[in-house]
Amino acid sequence: MEKDKTLWRVAMLIPPLAVFGILVVWPLFSSFYYSITNWNGFSADYRYVGFDNFLQIFHDPLFTRAAVNTVIWMLAAVIVPTGLGLVLALLIDSQVPGASVFKSIFYLPICLSAIVVGQIWVWIYQPDWGLLNTAISLVTGGNSHFAWLAKPGTALYAVIAAWSWQQTGLAMVIFLAGLTAIPADLIEVCHIEGASSGQRIRQVVLPLLRPATVVVVALGLINSLKGFDILYIMTGGGPFNSSDTLAMHMYNESFKKYHMGYGSAISVVLFLIALAIIFAYFRQLRKVDEIYE
Amino acid sequence: MNDRFASAAMPSFNPWQAAIFVCLTVLALLFLAPTIGVLLSSLKTTEDIALGKLWSFPTSLYLDNFRTVLADPAIHTYFLNTLLIAVPATAGSIVLGILSGYVFAKLPFRGSDVLFLAIVAGMFFPPQVILIPLFRLFNGLGLLDTLWPMIFVHIAMGIPICTLMMRNFFATVPAALREAAIIEGASEWQVLTKVALPLSLPALAVLSTLQFTWIWNDFLWPLIFTQSDDKRTIMLGLVFLQGQYSVAWGIQGALSLIASLPTLIVFLFFQRYFIKGMTMGAVKG
Amino acid sequence: MFKTTRRALMVSVLGSGLMAALPVQQVFAGGEVTISHYFTGDLGLDGLKQIFAEFNKETGITVKDSPIGHEDFKTGILVRAAGGNLPDVFSYWAGAKTQFIINSKSLHPIDDMWKAANLDAIVAKPVADGATLYNGHRYLIPFGYHYAGIFYNKKILQKAGITEMPKTWDEFKAMCDKLKAAGVTPIALGSKNRWPAQFWFDYLLLRTAGPDYRAKLMAGTASYTDPEVAQAMELWKQLLEAGDFTKTPNAYDWTDAADQVQRGDAAMTLMGTWITGYWNTNKFTDADYDFFEFPTVKDGVPRAAVGPVDGLVIAANAKNMEGAEKLLAFMISKPDVQAKWASIQGALSANEKVDPKTYTPVMQHALDVVKHAPAFAFNYDLATPPAVSEVGLSMFSQFLDNPGDVKSMLDQTQTAAAAAFKQ
Repeated sequence: MEKDKTLWRVAMLIPPLAVFGILVVWPLFSSFYYSITNWNGFSADYRYVGFDNFLQIFHDPLFTRAAVNTVIWMLAAVIVPTGLGLVLALLIDSQVPGASVFKSIFYLPICLSAIVVGQIWVWIYQPDWGLLNTAISLVTGGNSHFAWLAKPGTALYAVIAAWSWQQTGLAMVIFLAGLTAIPADLIEVCHIEGASSGQRIRQVVLPLLRPATVVVVALGLINSLKGFDILYIMTGGGPFNSSDTLAMHMYNESFKKYHMGYGSAISVVLFLIALAIIFAYFRQLRKVDEIYE
Repeated sequence: MNDRFASAAMPSFNPWQAAIFVCLTVLALLFLAPTIGVLLSSLKTTEDIALGKLWSFPTSLYLDNFRTVLADPAIHTYFLNTLLIAVPATAGSIVLGILSGYVFAKLPFRGSDVLFLAIVAGMFFPPQVILIPLFRLFNGLGLLDTLWPMIFVHIAMGIPICTLMMRNFFATVPAALREAAIIEGASEWQVLTKVALPLSLPALAVLSTLQFTWIWNDFLWPLIFTQSDDKRTIMLGLVFLQGQYSVAWGIQGALSLIASLPTLIVFLFFQRYFIKGMTMGAVKG
Repeated sequence: MFKTTRRALMVSVLGSGLMAALPVQQVFAGGEVTISHYFTGDLGLDGLKQIFAEFNKETGITVKDSPIGHEDFKTGILVRAAGGNLPDVFSYWAGAKTQFIINSKSLHPIDDMWKAANLDAIVAKPVADGATLYNGHRYLIPFGYHYAGIFYNKKILQKAGITEMPKTWDEFKAMCDKLKAAGVTPIALGSKNRWPAQFWFDYLLLRTAGPDYRAKLMAGTASYTDPEVAQAMELWKQLLEAGDFTKTPNAYDWTDAADQVQRGDAAMTLMGTWITGYWNTNKFTDADYDFFEFPTVKDGVPRAAVGPVDGLVIAANAKNMEGAEKLLAFMISKPDVQAKWASIQGALSANEKVDPKTYTPVMQHALDVVKHAPAFAFNYDLATPPAVSEVGLSMFSQFLDNPGDVKSMLDQTQTAAAAAFKQ
């Protein structure tokens, strides 16, 4: 029995691990190797510099800002689409007419590529004729010309808004799939016992949505790095590095300044941070599993 | 869609319902605005957009952008290439994710948690980190300028998310079900395909939709791994509308709408299966 | 289990379909040159396709073309260099960027081809040595170059009663005042992508401290904390504080700035000659715009011209070296090829023999200015090493956002630049 299990484990794990190992893990570690060199990306000769690149991180003010922005970005990329997606899913699941139309509308943004989403939000934030300033002018009766993407105080958040717009539909769909999995008779029992809808949602629906929440949060975390594309297109980390994230900083150092070694050091740090976040998340995941096992 | 939240004695008009409907409509309009922007841009000349007339409604229906896009034979090639990458890569990553997800959920072993964590952590990278080693690898294999590198890379990059998702859904399949099947003489493979998978249809539907969409919309890998025009994907076509000093916005808008259709169709097709996941609820309750 | 077989069948069908669609990479025996470049967009691509077809007719060599958009090109070419698979020929920006990859031993010197094709007699003088000669060897052929001038909307200037173009800094400031009095913002600037701001720094520094000092600053032997730099920034700051620039330049692309001038919201913009290509396609023509040279700021300082040079280079490990050299010679020596390309790009041809009459009147004017300029300097991001220009460009956009404390900005820039030079 136990021997059988081991055999199946090996047979089932080898294909995914082999593919993942060759195409992700190995390239990852071989790029980590550059972090202890002074390679510039072009030159054939480079030398070993020990931990110099890592020490440099402490003298790099841009790194600190990028690290803070990364935390903000990750938190927002998880909280906003998750919260909004849950609200939308609950509203749509409440037997509202046209539910499938609503569902498609909220999902639509995911179908668009980062290139298009980035561009369209640049047009929304445009200071003179952009949709946002036009709307603000209409509501306040004033004449709003705010440059949302060009001001260090708002650039990062403006991109986060665009990102949330695109990702919310995904969270909504997963929550909807989770909601359909809640047995109807359970809800029925609540009705009979006379629970209000608020109570029903809080005490019955939300706990049962935990597996869906796990997926949504995981996706949010994983996707927050895919957000590189949209940030790259909308601000490129600007103005003057104010919306840099670690991924963007890594990119700038490696591909724009040709500091491949230092860029690799940044990605090692990014990897360690990611590992810590996943570890924390993983413990949470285990708690959820205990409900089922 | 279903009446699970409706009470048995519900009157024909429900003020709550009306409020929700209004609320959703307002949100839907807010959500649609940017997409309408894409649509408007596709109906305008580059000159109009340059002069800031993007958000105004077009006075006449200007369809040349769509005509240009649809008549371009290169675009047809791009579409076919993208399909030839997205379909096998989606299928491949899901199959591999099913295998590893099943082991992590139902056949855990000492250290399996750490392994699982390592796989998921592998996703937390800007893909730029592994560009150069992968380029060297495919260069060595002589696969540059074919569609293979994109297929392989997308399968590999999809493994973490597919593993995570499948593990999560398989975990909700009661252990008792598996044990009963094993006692009746079923192999692990049969438990996986006959018991666990049918209960995980919503996960498969979600994964197919997501993976297809991401792969379809990716442009980094084909940018690096392809060189000839006849190997390029639709997103590269979109990127290449950006000239050195100017961008054909109108055509880009039209192309991006057309390029988004397959992902939308995939979503509309699979969303039916999300509902089929009800069976899963039946078991769990 | 039946299901599994059906699925397996589907997979294999799909697989064989893929095989059919993916023929094994064909290898041409010596008759092919690979090239990668950033001249995308309809016009550029079509133009090159014709040029490559002509080359094929003449030499029998096929050109395998692989264009990548401007920004993505930077990543793409670096990955290919790092992966040891550079195309035989690729486009690159002459100046510090080319110097950088030459120092990394990635390029093949073309001295012999240069002599054989007698390029000394062909390549336009203003860009010949500065753009092509590195460490005493020829490495690059210029494929077209641009000049940065102050482009203006004729009608708007007329309306404001301006008939004489300013020759000195005082005249220039008077002109700005006149425009403001007429209700027009004098200068449009779209520095969202940072680089459009550099021309202001370049010209102000060149016109006050002179080309020799600037060369030192670009090479790292002068400091951003020097009074010369502070003075140039101070002049720039005065213009900003006088309200001569459009508001929040960082929010706009250079094309937005071009549009502002076209619409008449602003009167002029300091930009490269490629703006003519952009305006012409937007139906704003020669009749509507012209340019004047950046005015003299300090008497006695030579009036250098600023601009970038697009070049073609050969990879050190090119597979078809002979074909690559032939292609480069072809691209530069044919006056008709060069003339056609220049008009597509809104560029000046790097070939002396191109008949100036093939240019538009505005471009003829630009050619005239460049020919008579005592020096041709590369713009900032091509004049100083890539890692340093990243620092400087960010400083410019910080300055444009808030020009308040120039001194501390320059101090920080010097610290970061010194570190970048050291690496």
